[in-house]
Amino acid sequence: MSLNRKLSSWVLVTALAASPAARAHSEVSDASALSLLPVAVSVAAPVVVLAGGAMLSLVAVQASATGTVWVLERASDAARMSVQFAGHASAALGTAVVVTAVSTGWVLSAAGAAIAFIPNEIGRALLHDERITR
Amino acid sequence: MNSRAILAATLVAATVAAQAGRPCEERPATPSEITRGMALAEATARRLDATGAQVVVLARAGQDLSRYGLRWSHLGFAYRDGDGAGAHWRVVHKLNQCGTANAALYRQGLGQFFLDRPHRYEAAFVELSADAQARLLPLLRDNTAAARWHEPRYNMLAYPWAQRYQQSNQWALETLAGAMDADARTRGQAQAWLQLRGYEPTTLHIGALTRLGANATRANIAFDDHPNHKRFADRIETVTVDSVFQWLARSGLAERPPAFVSL
Repeated sequence: MSLNRKLSSWVLVTALAASPAARAHSEVSDASALSLLPVAVSVAAPVVVLAGGAMLSLVAVQASATGTVWVLERASDAARMSVQFAGHASAALGTAVVVTAVSTGWVLSAAGAAIAFIPNEIGRALLHDERITR
Repeated sequence: MNSRAILAATLVAATVAAQAGRPCEERPATPSEITRGMALAEATARRLDATGAQVVVLARAGQDLSRYGLRWSHLGFAYRDGDGAGAHWRVVHKLNQCGTANAALYRQGLGQFFLDRPHRYEAAFVELSADAQARLLPLLRDNTAAARWHEPRYNMLAYPWAQRYQQSNQWALETLAGAMDADARTRGQAQAWLQLRGYEPTTLHIGALTRLGANATRANIAFDDHPNHKRFADRIETVTVDSVFQWLARSGLAERPPAFVSL
């Protein structure tokens, strides 16, 4: 299966409503751990790449006006996926990333630390971050 | 008391918090913390769905307050937003900013609510009476109305019957009072309503040196809103989740006793 063919079977996730605010209040003492963690707004990947236990490598980080895109490559067969974040999401190229599948989505971690969360439909319904007062 | 003892006393005072008030922590989350926090959020959403309620008082155990006989540290209002299959739970609550003397209101998902590295991955909620739910629901959906009873000057141990500061659980309690009492226009009137209906805060016994240490080192702890006769008797009254739950049951504002969710 060619890379293009693999990328054509996209898992497309709709935008997380309040993601721009998700990083806006990391200064809040009571802020959740998730607000410090990039949360994907969309992901394009062959389904097999987003499987629990998958070992990936971060091969590209692209910043744009609308956020950040990570390109991750699976070590075993070079299958790639791209993950879009609404805000800044930094990580070093070449970082070895482990995928953990949970009922609410996928946790991406590196060296034992969570570096991003990709919510599925259940997870998206549980996530919202909006500051009401200044 | 030497400096080490004062520091220890300060740390004790800091954990007396009526809500989590830790300094900002940039330590990355572990996969387990994300997994467990989201799992608790999902389990709580399912339990809330099953109640048929529109508004509940939702609490978490952000810190270990067992030495004060308290089980929960922080509460907010969870309400059902939207209709049908697309409906989801949102939490409106007040958060202290990085251990500073200020706080703001937030509307968050259950995920964010339980991802704050809680002391225990457990939740408690109280279904409010139908009347209380009906009064609170429009208020929680409206940012201006939700902020009506909000005071940004934050004190983790704010006195329940003063208006100089306001801690997180106190905002929720006064907002409930303001929603129930159509004539209430001020925080003082909301507090008067609570007194009239028998709300009793928790009394914490905090000695002078501990107060001094906390006052000197923590921007989000103050005692100058407490009446002198109570303060100098080491009696610090503040709004706690446990005291709110007890009062909701006594006052008839709870539809049924608290329910608990754990992983």
